[in-house]
Amino acid sequence: MHRRDFMKTATGLVAAGAFAQIGAIRQAAAAGSVKIGILIPMSGPAGLFGPSSKDCAELAVDQINAGGGVLGQKIEPIYVDAGGAPAGVTQSALKVWKGQGARVFIGMHDSAVRGALVNLFKGQVPYVYTPVYEGGACGKGLYAIGETPSQQLKPVIPWLASSKGASKWYLIGNDYNWPRDTNKAAKGYIAASHGTIVGEEYLPFAVDNFDSNLAKIKQTGANAVLVTLVGGASVGFNRAFASFGLSDSVLRLGTLIEENTLAGIGAQSSKNLFSSAGFFAAVDTPTVQAFDKKYADKFGPKAPALNTLGESCYDGLLFFDALAKKAGSLKVADLDSAADKGVSYDSPRGKLTYKKGEVASNIYLAEASGASFKIVKTFANVSSGATCA
Amino acid sequence: MEFFATYVLNFAFAFASMAFIVLGLAIAFGLLGVMNMAHGEFVAIGAYSVLVVQQAGLPFILAVPLAIVACAIVGALIEWLVIRHLYRRPFDTLLATWGIAILMRKGIEVAFGRSFRSVDPVMPGTIKAFGIDYPSYRVMLIVLVLAFFVALYLWYQRSNTGLRIKAMVQNPGLAAALGVDTSSLSRMTFIAGVVMAGIAGVLIAPLVKVAPLMGFDYLLNSFFILVVGGLGSIQGLLTGAAVISGGDTVLSSIFNQSAGYIGVLLISILFLWMRPNGICSDR
Repeated sequence: MHRRDFMKTATGLVAAGAFAQIGAIRQAAAAGSVKIGILIPMSGPAGLFGPSSKDCAELAVDQINAGGGVLGQKIEPIYVDAGGAPAGVTQSALKVWKGQGARVFIGMHDSAVRGALVNLFKGQVPYVYTPVYEGGACGKGLYAIGETPSQQLKPVIPWLASSKGASKWYLIGNDYNWPRDTNKAAKGYIAASHGTIVGEEYLPFAVDNFDSNLAKIKQTGANAVLVTLVGGASVGFNRAFASFGLSDSVLRLGTLIEENTLAGIGAQSSKNLFSSAGFFAAVDTPTVQAFDKKYADKFGPKAPALNTLGESCYDGLLFFDALAKKAGSLKVADLDSAADKGVSYDSPRGKLTYKKGEVASNIYLAEASGASFKIVKTFANVSSGATCA
Repeated sequence: MEFFATYVLNFAFAFASMAFIVLGLAIAFGLLGVMNMAHGEFVAIGAYSVLVVQQAGLPFILAVPLAIVACAIVGALIEWLVIRHLYRRPFDTLLATWGIAILMRKGIEVAFGRSFRSVDPVMPGTIKAFGIDYPSYRVMLIVLVLAFFVALYLWYQRSNTGLRIKAMVQNPGLAAALGVDTSSLSRMTFIAGVVMAGIAGVLIAPLVKVAPLMGFDYLLNSFFILVVGGLGSIQGLLTGAAVISGGDTVLSSIFNQSAGYIGVLLISILFLWMRPNGICSDR
C-alpha cells in the first residue's frame, strides 16, 4: 500500500471509529441517563472536605443506579471543584450545566458560593444544598437539607453553660455570611443561657496567623470560644490556640469541626474541643454503624474520614431520588410542589422528612478525645427551624 | 503587663521568622541582582520536607538535611539552566523566576495534591518567658534565629569567602581579574540563598498551613521587608523585618489582621515613594 493511501484509509478508519463512538454515546443517553453536577470543594481552605464528599456521593450514585436510577434513568455524576471563589465556581457550574447538560445539581460548599449559584440557576434547574448552613435558604428549585444553628447551637449552648460552665463567649469566624449569621443566632442562645459575649471577630480566608486573636481571647478572659472558621483556617487557629496553652482552661465549640478538621488539628491540640452536628462516624445507632461499614467496605481502611459534610452528599442524592420519585418528573415546578407536601428519605441519620425547607434530625455533641470524637450528648429530633412558606 | 509581654513575644516571633525567611531573598537580590520570585516556593519545599519526613515516621530534625539537599539540587538546576545567564539583570530574572515559581507550584501540586496539609506539632507545650506561658517551639525559634544572625554577621565580616563575595558585589570584573572565580562564587551564593529559604520553611512548617500556594505570601512580605530595610546589608534586613513585623503586630492587635495588612502595604508604598533605597542603603 502506498503511504498516501495508507494515510487515507487510516484517517477514514479513525473518523469512522469516532462517529461510531459518538453514536454509542447518543444511544446511551437515549437509553436514559441523567447527568448530575456534584459540586464539592477539591481545593482551597475547604479542600479537606472534598475526598470524603466524593466517596459518599459515589456510594449514593452506586446505590441509586443499582436500584434502577432516578426515575429509571442512570445517574452520570460530574464532579466539579467548588473550593474556589464564588465567581470561579459559577463559571465551572455554568459549563457543566449548559455545556455538558447536567439536569440536577448537588452542592456541598460554602454559603457564599451557594448565593452565587442561586443567582446563576434562577430556579431553572433543581439544586440540592447539603451541608451545615445558616438556615433560611429558600427559592425555586433550591432544597437545603443541612444542619442549622437552631439545631447545632440552640440545645448545645445551654448544655455547655450548665455542664461545662461556658459563660463568657468569644466568637471567631471567617468573614462571610455563614459565620456571621450563625453568630447572630448564637448571640440569642448565649443571652438566653445567661452568658455574655466578650469578643467577636471575622477573618479573611487567607489569614494564617492568629497571634493577635489569641492574645485578645486571653485578654478578655473568655472561657468558651465559638469557632466558625472553615477547614484550613480552623485547623490553623485550633493548633495555635492549643500551642498557647489556652486549651487547658478555655473550651472550644465548633459547628464545622468534622473528623477531617479534627485530624488536621491533631491529638495534641484537641483538648476541650467540642463539635455539634447531625452526624458523626462515632454515633452508635444501627443506621450510622451500617453506613460506616458500607463506606469502609468500599473504600478500605485508608479512606478519608467519614463526617457530617461528606455524609450530607450521600443524603443529598438520596433526598433528590426520593423527591423525583414523589414528583414523577425532574421539572422544578413539579419537584417544588412535591417538596411542599413533604418528602421522606432513608438517611444514615434516620428516616428524615424534608417539608417546606424544614428537616428535623438528631443532633450530637461530640468531644474530641485525641484525634477522634466521642459522643457526649444526644439531642433527639431537633427541628432545623428553617421554613420556606 | 502580662498582655504586654504576649505582644512583645508575638512581635519577637514575627520578627525572627520574617527575618529568617527574607534572608535568602536578600542574598540573591542584594548580592547577585537576582530578583528570585521563586523564593517562596523554596520555603514551600522546606515545609513539605517536614511532611515527607513525618510521613516516613522519622524525627522532625531530619527535615533539615532533606530540605537542604532538595533545595540545593533544585537551586543548582535553576542556576545552571536560567539564572547564570541573567546575573545583575533584575527585571529579566524577575520574569524568568516567576515562570519557574509557577512550574514549582504545579510540581508541588502534582506531588502532594492541591489541598493544604498540616504537619505534627514539634515541642508542644509552653514555657515561662517574661512571666507568661509562651509556646516552647516559638521561644526556641526566636533564640535560634537570633544566634544564627549573629554568627552570620561575624562570618561575613571576617571570613575570606565573605571578603570575596563583597569584592564580587562591588566590582565583578576586577574581582575576576584578581583570581576570584566569580561564576562559581555566584552559583554558591545563589544556592546558599535558596537553601536558607528551605531551612526557613522547615522551621515554620509546624506553625503554618502547608499548601502549594503558601510561598506567595512569604514572597510578598519578603519584598516589603527589602523595600523598607534596603539592600545589601544584614542591618537593613533586620531593620526592615522589624518595621514590617512590628507594624503588622501592632495594627493587628489594636484593630484586626486586615488593618495590619493594609498598614504593611502603606508603609511599603511610602518607602517606595519617599525613600526608594530603604532605611539602610549604602548605594
